[in-house]
Amino acid sequence: MTAERAISQAIEADIREHQEHDEAGNSKFGFIVFLLSESVIFLSFFVGYAIFKTTTPTWYPPGVAGLETREPLINTIVLVSSSFVIYVAERYLHDKKLWGFRIFLLATMLMGAYFLFGQAVEWRGLPFNYQSGAFGSTFFLLTGFHGLHVLTGIVLQTLMLGRSFIPGNYDNGFFGVEATSLFWHFVDVIWIVLYILIYVWQ
Amino acid sequence: MIKLRAILTMTIYAILVTFASIWMAKQSYSWFPPEASAESKLLDDLFSLFTGLGTFIYLGVIGPFLYSLIFHRAAKYDRSDAPPIEGNTWLEVTWTAVPLVLVLTLSFVSYRTYEKMSIRGPMELVHLHTPQMMESAYAEPFDSTPQREIQNAVETAPVEQIDVIARQWAWVFHYPEQDVTSTELHLPVDRRIRFTLRSQDVLHGFYIPAFRLSQYVVPHKDINIEMTPIKTGTFRLRDSMYSGTYFAANQTDVVVQSPGDYQQWLASAAAQTPSPAFNQAIYEYNQSSEPGAGSTKDKVAVRGWATIPPAAPPVVNYAPKHEPKSPPV
Amino acid sequence: MANISIEAPEVVRGQPYPGAPDNWKRFFTFSTDHKVIGIQYIVTSFFFFLIGGLFAMIMRGELITPEADLVDRTVYNALFTMHGSVMLFFWTFPVLVGLGNYLVPLMIGARDMAFPRLNAVSFWMIPVAGILMMSSFLVPGGPSQSGWWAYPPVSLQNPTGNLINGQVLWILSVAISGVSSIMGAVNFVTTIFRMRAPGMTWFRTPAFVWAVLGAQLIQLYGLPALTGGAIMLLLDLTIGTSFFAPERGGNPVLYQHFFWFYSHPAVYVMVLPVFGIFSEVLPVHARKPLFGYRVIAASSLVITVISSAVWVHHMFASATPGWMRMFFMVTTMLVAIPSGIKVFGWVATVWGGKIRFTTPMLFALGGISNWLFAGITGIFLGSVPIDLHVHNTYFVVGHFHYVLYGAIVMGIYAGIYHWFPKMTGRMYYEGLGKLHFALTYIGTALIFLPMHPLGLMGMPRRVASYDPEFAYWNVVASIGGFLLGLSTLPFILNMVSAWIRGEKAGNNPWRAYGLEWLTSSPPSVENYEATPVVVSGPYGYGKNEPLVANTPNPGLTEFPESFTQKPTS
Ligand code: HEA
Ligand code: HEA
Ligand code: CUA
Ligand SMILES: [Cu+2]
Repeated sequence: MTAERAISQAIEADIREHQEHDEAGNSKFGFIVFLLSESVIFLSFFVGYAIFKTTTPTWYPPGVAGLETREPLINTIVLVSSSFVIYVAERYLHDKKLWGFRIFLLATMLMGAYFLFGQAVEWRGLPFNYQSGAFGSTFFLLTGFHGLHVLTGIVLQTLMLGRSFIPGNYDNGFFGVEATSLFWHFVDVIWIVLYILIYVWQ
Repeated sequence: MIKLRAILTMTIYAILVTFASIWMAKQSYSWFPPEASAESKLLDDLFSLFTGLGTFIYLGVIGPFLYSLIFHRAAKYDRSDAPPIEGNTWLEVTWTAVPLVLVLTLSFVSYRTYEKMSIRGPMELVHLHTPQMMESAYAEPFDSTPQREIQNAVETAPVEQIDVIARQWAWVFHYPEQDVTSTELHLPVDRRIRFTLRSQDVLHGFYIPAFRLSQYVVPHKDINIEMTPIKTGTFRLRDSMYSGTYFAANQTDVVVQSPGDYQQWLASAAAQTPSPAFNQAIYEYNQSSEPGAGSTKDKVAVRGWATIPPAAPPVVNYAPKHEPKSPPV
Repeated sequence: MANISIEAPEVVRGQPYPGAPDNWKRFFTFSTDHKVIGIQYIVTSFFFFLIGGLFAMIMRGELITPEADLVDRTVYNALFTMHGSVMLFFWTFPVLVGLGNYLVPLMIGARDMAFPRLNAVSFWMIPVAGILMMSSFLVPGGPSQSGWWAYPPVSLQNPTGNLINGQVLWILSVAISGVSSIMGAVNFVTTIFRMRAPGMTWFRTPAFVWAVLGAQLIQLYGLPALTGGAIMLLLDLTIGTSFFAPERGGNPVLYQHFFWFYSHPAVYVMVLPVFGIFSEVLPVHARKPLFGYRVIAASSLVITVISSAVWVHHMFASATPGWMRMFFMVTTMLVAIPSGIKVFGWVATVWGGKIRFTTPMLFALGGISNWLFAGITGIFLGSVPIDLHVHNTYFVVGHFHYVLYGAIVMGIYAGIYHWFPKMTGRMYYEGLGKLHFALTYIGTALIFLPMHPLGLMGMPRRVASYDPEFAYWNVVASIGGFLLGLSTLPFILNMVSAWIRGEKAGNNPWRAYGLEWLTSSPPSVENYEATPVVVSGPYGYGKNEPLVANTPNPGLTEFPESFTQKPTS
């Protein structure tokens, strides 16, 4: 074996060592791949919505002229700002300031819950339901499916909050928190598209 | 010396393959039902071209493949490896470029045929071709129909309008001018026909193999297609889009007649009062002893599950008295 | 199979390994070892293959006469629906995931997949979903009868009116298998991107791994669309939303876009790993490097990309506008280019090689010839005017069985025979293998070739009865079908008896080049004693250069000398 090869081998063994122990890195990579894939479901719903809207002869059910945009806008602002709040929580965790992390995480959860609450109120007040033609069906599908994701995000955050009380939980990094936060940003971005599609484009 | 032999072998093989391909291309016409519409000639020409080229590609690849399988086997105790040839840029470029050119050509030729058949997408109004111009000979490798003359003929030829109503599981044809309905499709020969396809329940497929055309029938949507029958006789119309339990029985006859016979048929049909027609699906449905069960005939070995009941029998002016017989095509 | 002197001394191992006689129980447990999971996938899906094949046998029995006289129409309709669904979702997909699971970590020198527990969960969803689908035979109204496409409005017609019906179970079952596939895809992609052994650059990665990567990327972008469509269909069916129901203002053709946006690329999910198998098997048994390895590897990803934009070729006869027909005709035909690169590469690989007709080689060669034929009929179908005549006729059925059976199932057989000694440490019986090949090849031609003239004559698919003029070719096809059914018997016999008492195969019976052949047969739980460090490309036949720098298993790394050794006997 030449000396050159021995050296390169040593270097590569080092890399290998690194890879073997980089399980959090793998998880992060995998999670991003998963989110990209998940976004295609939303994408297909969005495309479906656009096609329905442009091809259905009578789009709105009788008696419906359009959607109220004011409350949903408030809801949107709350949800989008919560993305920044969870980012702050993450920064606190980076700096090992656990209490700051917990407070801001809780704030995120509350904002998410407010969003869901606002959504529920809107649903109850609507003059149509999921059986009201293609419009009713797609409206409830999009908002409902997104709402489920918000709920999932809040459940994840609750888990992270609970785990932060386990001593030594963050000694080996905090992939869980990163993933939760990533998921939350994802849910937000989806909502922005959804809002434009359903509420702005009327 | 060896090189010369290789070149010679390859040339001979290429010539053989060419002949085989031409033979197959000619042969392909015999695989189809009779050419009963103007469009069918265009399609058969196109198919023949594809068959010839496809045969050429298939034999061109399989020949060298088989050759090396026969002549490049390892001897029994030969444990050595073959020469480590890893690739050849020139070859690789060639076999990327040649298929590219080929498929672009095939796409273009298909596009031209499609244009000429003028079975454009639904709802786009279509133009037509008259049969007389379409006598593209079998010897011609590919169609050379004079497009301008067709166009002129098209503009002057009258169009016959027929409404086609599909349902689970029956076909009804409505001739709006005479307000005649029938469960058998009668057409005048050498006339451009415009069909308006409608479905009352699910997707169906309007398919007359002798005409080489199929088109889905979509509920709540009127779809127009046009074609020109050029041969008298009885042909078959089949449902080509799976439509549920009795889908296979959803067939009827197409009778292409001389204009005189056709007018006569229309007149005599118009004189009849509408009455319920025989319907194979309903017949089989009623054969089942348990109500609601989908079982067909008594002699069926394995009985079935519940099915959607067939729609009521069509009430029409004209219906063949018997269940439709299949022509030997 | 005679063994060679380079055989490593049997290393005595502490750990149990899959295939050891005392250890069969672990195949029935929640194991996280990718090799156990791989075999679990293969065996489970083969069981479903038999079930799907049994349905096909009944269908061929019905079709041997023109009348609908063997089974009732509803039964026939349920049979082809279940046949198609089982064959695709519970045989082809899982068996290829199984082969990938077994081979990818070994080929890239990894200890396991990136997420072993997720891997096990993905696997166990398959039997659950499969049993769920089979259970639909027991509900009133029977299984789904709307074909494997489940097109509305037919799939929304619910004759019994029950909430739990065959169609609902079908959707749930397909959805579960979809979730399993997405999880599997995340796992594969992460593993391939991040866990290749040091020194294994992309262009030192075997073509099989490239192909699996291409296939799994399709799963990631395609499956979610199908899932979306399935959710909407389920809601229409159960709570009365109006996405696809025309009488409620829905659009049934839109469902077709959702469905084919995934289900067209899905055919490449199935065929790409098989291309990978061809690319691995040929060099070994022709003793020549894979010709044009780099372009063959890269063309897998080209297929991944192109296949995302051809789905409308299944919908030429739907209410599709002319421009759409033309656009998708061109994209469809473009797939011929990366496919051709592969075919030509394989032909050039065997050209001038030292070919041995072992069973895996025969299956690979047969599979390639069938693929060539099927690909050409695919190009026919891609041409709009031709498709308008043969759409939904037996021509299409002939085309896709030539791929699905002729190329894919045969390729899977090639893979199973080729890696059987690796998986079990034992050699299969060559004679039975050749008998299996002969029956399969003849049977395939007998049943699926006559479907082409039938289709051109205008025989629609999905019919339990047909006009008498089609009887001749149908009788031929049915006989071929029964022959194919028979052909599975020597295979089963071979696998079972060889696994139990076959000759010991040694670690590298084919004298093959590749990381998986460097370790013991069957491999230990860790796969490698020391992580291999790759120093050359994957197909070094005749090149006299080592594959790895270190020696994970002594005696096996220095191929070239031993390869050129004259036999001592
Ligand atoms: C794994 C399975 C598989 C694979 C790989 C393919 C590959 C191809 N398929 Fe097929 N197909 C199916 C499975 C598959 N198909 C199934 C299951 C259906 C029916 C589904 C249903 O309706 O139930 C179907 C249906 C189907 C249709 C719809 C028919 C209809 O319903 O009307 C079409 C139409 O375009 C089509 C085309 C093609 C093409 C162009 C390829 C191409 O990929 C082929 C490319 C390969 C080659 C061309 C050969 C090698 C190339 C060369 C040697 C280069 C030189 C060649 C030329 C220049 C032509 N297929
Ligand atoms: C990988 C996929 C795959 C495979 C391998 C096969 C294999 C076979 N297929 Fe399949 N087929 C499809 C996928 C596949 N098919 C699809 C997707 C459809 C479309 C469905 C639709 O329209 O919705 C279809 C449709 C289809 C039809 C058309 C039905 C119709 O339109 O009316 C026919 C008709 O002959 C057919 C026949 C066969 C036969 C004879 C085999 C043979 O190769 C099978 C060989 C038999 C065996 C391997 C079984 C051997 C077992 C025994 C003999 C019994 C022992 C078993 C037990 C004890 C459990 N298939
Ligand atoms: Cu264009 Cu006729
Ligand atoms: Cu396709």
